[in-house]
Amino acid sequence: MSKKNSIKFSIIRGAAALGIGLLVAFLLIFFGSEGATLGEKFSSSLEAMREMLISPLFRKNGSFSLKNLSDVLAGMIPILFTGLATCIMFAANQFNLGAEGGIMLGAFVSSLVAIYVKLPGPLLIVAAVLLGALASALVMLIPAVLKARLGVSEMVNSLMLNYVIMYLVNYLMKAHLADTSKGITQTFPFQDNALIPQMIDNGSRLSWGFVVGIVMVILCWFFMYRTRWGYGIRMTGINQPFVMYSGMSVTVIIILCQVMGGFLAGMGGGIEILGRYNVYNWSALPGYGWTGITVAILAGNNPIFVPLAAFFMSYLTKGCMLMSTNADVPSQLISIIQAVIFIFFAAQQFLSGYRQKLVIRSAKEELAGNGAGEEVRK
Amino acid sequence: MSEEYAIQMKNITKIYPNGTIANQDVSLNVKKGEIHALMGENGAGKTTLMKMLFGLEQPTSGEILVNGERVHLSSPSAAIAKRIGMVHQHFMLVPSLTVAENMVLGMVPKKSGVFIDSKKSVELTEEYAKKYNLQVDANAKVMDIPVGMKQKVEILKALVRGARILILDEPTAVLTAQETEELFAQLKNLKEQGYSIIFISHKLKEIMEITDRMTILRGGRSMGIYETSEVTPQEISRLMVGRDVILKVEKEKAQPGSEVLKVRDLSYINEWGKKMLDHVSLSVRKGEILGIAGVEGNGQKELVDMLFGFSRPNSGIIEVNGESLIGLGQRQIRMKHVSLVPEDRMLYGIASSATIEENLISDRSGSPEFNKGFLFNMNAIHKKTEQLIRDFTVLCKNRSQQVGSLSGGNIQKVVVAREFSNDPVLIIADQPTRGIDVGATEFIRKKLVELSRSGIAVLLISADLNEVMELSDSLIIMCGGKIAAYFEDTEELTDELMGRYMLGIEQQDPEEIRRVCHE
Repeated sequence: MSKKNSIKFSIIRGAAALGIGLLVAFLLIFFGSEGATLGEKFSSSLEAMREMLISPLFRKNGSFSLKNLSDVLAGMIPILFTGLATCIMFAANQFNLGAEGGIMLGAFVSSLVAIYVKLPGPLLIVAAVLLGALASALVMLIPAVLKARLGVSEMVNSLMLNYVIMYLVNYLMKAHLADTSKGITQTFPFQDNALIPQMIDNGSRLSWGFVVGIVMVILCWFFMYRTRWGYGIRMTGINQPFVMYSGMSVTVIIILCQVMGGFLAGMGGGIEILGRYNVYNWSALPGYGWTGITVAILAGNNPIFVPLAAFFMSYLTKGCMLMSTNADVPSQLISIIQAVIFIFFAAQQFLSGYRQKLVIRSAKEELAGNGAGEEVRK
Repeated sequence: MSEEYAIQMKNITKIYPNGTIANQDVSLNVKKGEIHALMGENGAGKTTLMKMLFGLEQPTSGEILVNGERVHLSSPSAAIAKRIGMVHQHFMLVPSLTVAENMVLGMVPKKSGVFIDSKKSVELTEEYAKKYNLQVDANAKVMDIPVGMKQKVEILKALVRGARILILDEPTAVLTAQETEELFAQLKNLKEQGYSIIFISHKLKEIMEITDRMTILRGGRSMGIYETSEVTPQEISRLMVGRDVILKVEKEKAQPGSEVLKVRDLSYINEWGKKMLDHVSLSVRKGEILGIAGVEGNGQKELVDMLFGFSRPNSGIIEVNGESLIGLGQRQIRMKHVSLVPEDRMLYGIASSATIEENLISDRSGSPEFNKGFLFNMNAIHKKTEQLIRDFTVLCKNRSQQVGSLSGGNIQKVVVAREFSNDPVLIIADQPTRGIDVGATEFIRKKLVELSRSGIAVLLISADLNEVMELSDSLIIMCGGKIAAYFEDTEELTDELMGRYMLGIEQQDPEEIRRVCHE
């Protein structure tokens, strides 16, 4: 199939997935909505859908809402990082689910640096984020080395590691680090020069971390497609025996990709916590790691598509949030609606029949073209 | 009239989901009681055509008639119901079960409807074995029986399921000369009983010997149906590849130089305690091709595994230019300029969903030639790739095409392009032309000779007797993990003689064999 057809198919498929997802969402809202008559139900459902789809960008009166858009962009920051982390690990067929714990640990360690380490000016931010990233990278050595050396499943290991990190952080907070003068468990405030400056000061918490995230996307793409290590990671994901036979070290690659994943997740944690809050107060896993997995799958493990996928997820989250506050849709429905849209998007075989038709058509055109060519040559 | 034909496939076109046009307007008809050859290079569409006949694939357009009746073969079980049976190139048997158990798989006779009646399975197997004169050992485990017998089990399996039409996909690829002869006698027997047989093969000699008619495919199209008695091998090869293939490889006499590969008293016992290699010693010198012939499973695979660091010998010496390879990984072995064309090209040779370019640089991705600091030097990589594609005449759209979408012959050309171009001192070529088309085969063979004459040591392992005899300057035969014979010259060798050594009927004395060490 030609490149043009491939793109055409991708667009049609994406639109159809979204369409069906929204239709199912509409039906769910419709049956869940309150209203005396069917007509009332219908119009209130429409209103809810409008909230979900339009309001992340526009106000009720139709004017563009910068505030909502900046909320969406701010929501992208942590999942850009966890998405990249997961991309790199999944590209090598290493199903490490540790981005969730990684982002929490990164946030925690960065916070400690931001509170207790004395460094001048923005140097503190750099040190805090880097140390958070390093801590997370180091922890990721556990599933990585166990996998590379002993063949222990990195999936199970990293999944359990998330909870180890969570309880460890909670223990340290409660036992040693919490500011006991406050009603909830939180640390002492960060030093002023540890806070990442905001791009727009409208309460969206869209910090300059967003730009760092986009820069990391580009760096990761270069790493994956323009360096020997990224090449090794991708080849390992396609065919591990081939990589070994070719004389590359599978052990090194398996460890490298997971450590990098940990680093990126940890970095995301530091940037998120210093860009959005002025104390550390996460007591549960934040969920960004899970969303990062979704982002990586939507992006097809290619870093360059991560911003697009992250925007999509963040937009959907924001839309659903607005829908649940402004239109009377129960918040439990929100997750279902998100899931439905995602499933159709990620389904590999969805519309494969249509794809086959396109393929056949273009193959036949090719044949006709060749036939004509042969005629001419005769 | 249509009753005359067992199978008619009319105007079959098949387009795969990735856009590959495997068959285009192909027609095939097979008479009752004939052996019909299906010939063509790799990628000509033979296997696809047969998959459609066996219900594994559906045609995009066209129709299939069995005994004059139009059928829709949606699955292998539908094909079996129409009395079509297929013997795959790679046997579909469960190794840990007995022959009888394999025979009745999916149709197990039961006692009182619950318990497996193994006695009846054995009886059934023996009954069919006798009826068709295909002798098998019903109680032996499949993993313990020789390849030739496995094939008989496959044929019987199809017959037990009522097949009247048999598809044999390259049945002789794994057989010795003696086993092949035996198979042919059995096929002729089946034919006389009114069975129709479709015989897929690359080997002209066999086709001429056994088939009645043939259909030749080229590039997915049919080149017509011919009576075997009315065409010459030259005509067939011209129809298959569009030119006369010179299967003889011209080569001047070798001028062997110093010893490159030195193997002494190499022994290996596998994880189940079976002795796979028993004091194997050999030498390969600069500028010569040493061939290893033998029925598969007689230690060749283990020898290659050890030479390339995939497993460690229990005892013995492996040296390349005086440096030991034992205990080294593939990277270090490659650093000593050893190249391997692996037997299993899809598993080791390529990453099939990666591009041609990515496959060509896998062994040199870290070399200074292709890196500028942290980054790849894409220009250098593109240039080298383009050059390799040209030099090795890889047929492709461009360097970014997925390797997996190429035909078998072109995939192998990608593998050898990489392995031959990394400045080797020793090339280990393990079944370098297995299952690939005549054109690519010829190309690779010529390249091997050319490289050896330029001073590279070549160790060639092949189950294809013609290949080892044509290419090798000298030759050893392996049997039961030992070297059974060494021939300094391949000129006066015959299939007959080699077959006797391969099957362990004869063996040279140790003094004669020791000459391969050139000490």
